[in-house]
Amino acid sequence: MKGKSRENRKGTGTPAARRMPWRHYLAQYWQFYVMAAVPLVYFILFKWMPVLGNVLAFRRYRPLTGPYGVSWVGFRYFEQFLTQPQFWNAFRNTLILAALNLAVNFPLPILFALLLNELRATRLRKTVQTVSFMPRFISTVVVVSTLAQLLSPSGGLITRLLKDWFGVAPVYYMNEPEYFRPLYIATDAWQYTGWSAIVYVAAIAGIPNDLYEAARIDGANRFQQALHVTLPSILPTIMVMLILKIGNLLSLGFEKVLLMYTPANSSVSDIIDTYVYRVGLQSTANQYSYATAIGLFSGVIGLILVSSSNFLSRKLSGESIY
Amino acid sequence: MTAISEKKPTGRRGWAADLCITVAMLVVLAVYVIPCLHIAAVSFSSSRAILNDRVSLWPVDFTLDAYRQIFAYPTFLSAYQNTIIHTFCGTLISLVMTILFAYPLSKAFLRGQKTVMRLVVFTMFFSGGLIPNYLLVASLGLTGTRLGILIPFAISPFYLIILISFFRTIPVELEEAARIDGYGWFGILLHIVLPLSGAAIATIGLYTAVFFWNDWFYSLIYLKDTQYPAMLVLRNIVSGSSMAGQAGGVGANASLAIAVKSAVIIITTIPPVLIYPFLQKHFVKGMTIGAVKG
Repeated sequence: MKGKSRENRKGTGTPAARRMPWRHYLAQYWQFYVMAAVPLVYFILFKWMPVLGNVLAFRRYRPLTGPYGVSWVGFRYFEQFLTQPQFWNAFRNTLILAALNLAVNFPLPILFALLLNELRATRLRKTVQTVSFMPRFISTVVVVSTLAQLLSPSGGLITRLLKDWFGVAPVYYMNEPEYFRPLYIATDAWQYTGWSAIVYVAAIAGIPNDLYEAARIDGANRFQQALHVTLPSILPTIMVMLILKIGNLLSLGFEKVLLMYTPANSSVSDIIDTYVYRVGLQSTANQYSYATAIGLFSGVIGLILVSSSNFLSRKLSGESIY
Repeated sequence: MTAISEKKPTGRRGWAADLCITVAMLVVLAVYVIPCLHIAAVSFSSSRAILNDRVSLWPVDFTLDAYRQIFAYPTFLSAYQNTIIHTFCGTLISLVMTILFAYPLSKAFLRGQKTVMRLVVFTMFFSGGLIPNYLLVASLGLTGTRLGILIPFAISPFYLIILISFFRTIPVELEEAARIDGYGWFGILLHIVLPLSGAAIATIGLYTAVFFWNDWFYSLIYLKDTQYPAMLVLRNIVSGSSMAGQAGGVGANASLAIAVKSAVIIITTIPPVLIYPFLQKHFVKGMTIGAVKG
């Protein structure tokens, strides 16, 4: 992926543009700078200033004095949250939920794409594909409230089904801590499996047919072909997706967790992001610096995850994204 | 869809395997469709039928009461209007800004391009976080105004990079020819590059529109309650802090509240779900460009 941009570098006017004197260069290309001016100012203001705003983690905040605080306090806020059991609970919940979610929702789209590829009924395949993308466009609010309605202990469709068919007594699933993680993962699977599978379906479509013919001549059946032709052929795509996933491991669906959060299930449903939101914005105490420190901590872990997974993958397979 | 639905003819015709796969896929289809059908059915059913647990996949005692209730409720209508305003303006601002930024950034020979590109890529992996972003928007005086939701999300680094990679696939010869014909770079962007970028622009436009349509969290922290979008109103209904509270209570009233909630879900979900099949062809193309070619 790296080499590609290099060949594109021969854009209009190059290689002369690199050596041109400034006067000629600007006469030719000033319009690009006019074009980029507003977006660039915007980008610096709204994307970079908040990055710099992380200094608040080391500074005391006072209302109405701007977003960067008033005096240095060093690592005080870090010491504060690192000794806070609530933080460690949120930290542990984040890791567990992220790991379980990765374990289930990373392989699922691959499996889905493989099955889709083996489906012979063309009409059904197109229908399943179209329908499976659709949940990606549905709001998490709608997903969570639909879930709550289906699982409602008073006459939810699933509760009724479980009672009538299996005799399971109604439970308030949305409130029980032990159901929080399975429900989070299941709704993620429902919403994103079809969507995430697009990349794999596209990769499978690009596999040359003679590979399958050769395998057939060797007597491979369908399952063996899927295992020994399709899967190895899409392995590079799988690797790239895995790096992306691991890099973004900590960025769970914060909004969904917030919507599924109830005081009763808070022992498992409080993750770092919701903890930051609660202490920083939701509580009236507004501990901005403290919350920024926690946000910075998880941001740095995220950055380490991205760069190390990218580094590892470049070493192992020559595939890298950045 | 053409590229994606191409079929690999694999193996002998094992009918047992075919049957298993077909059945498995039908089950998957049911898992997708049943929740939607159920919510739709509830929204069109009478509160008595809901109370007696008689509604599953088809409306029982068909009625439009729930929808009448919603449309008689001014808060919901104005919230729906807010959603439409935010989606339309937000997507427009976002597309203009992203295009104007992506085109120069797709030209690697421009001086300064590399530096800006590094800044952009870095923000993809490390951003300000919730609190610094909030304090910035607040200190600019944007909270409580519509700009508070429209401006901070105008450029997403991720979509920006998708568009940059797409612009790079456009043959340079076309631009050179237009240069010789006397076009400026703005003219080239408008008349040559944009008409060729339909797929990519439809893709990021759709993503952005869906983001604004579905947003409730940023509206909650940045807007005041008269500017709340429909999703936030729905969230408040679900959490019991509005509307359903009035219709709430026991028996028939509680059932009507369920019907109203379902009707709100249907009304807020239908527009994006209806629009997307028309754009599907484009976004599958646009997304695989961004994701696979990098």
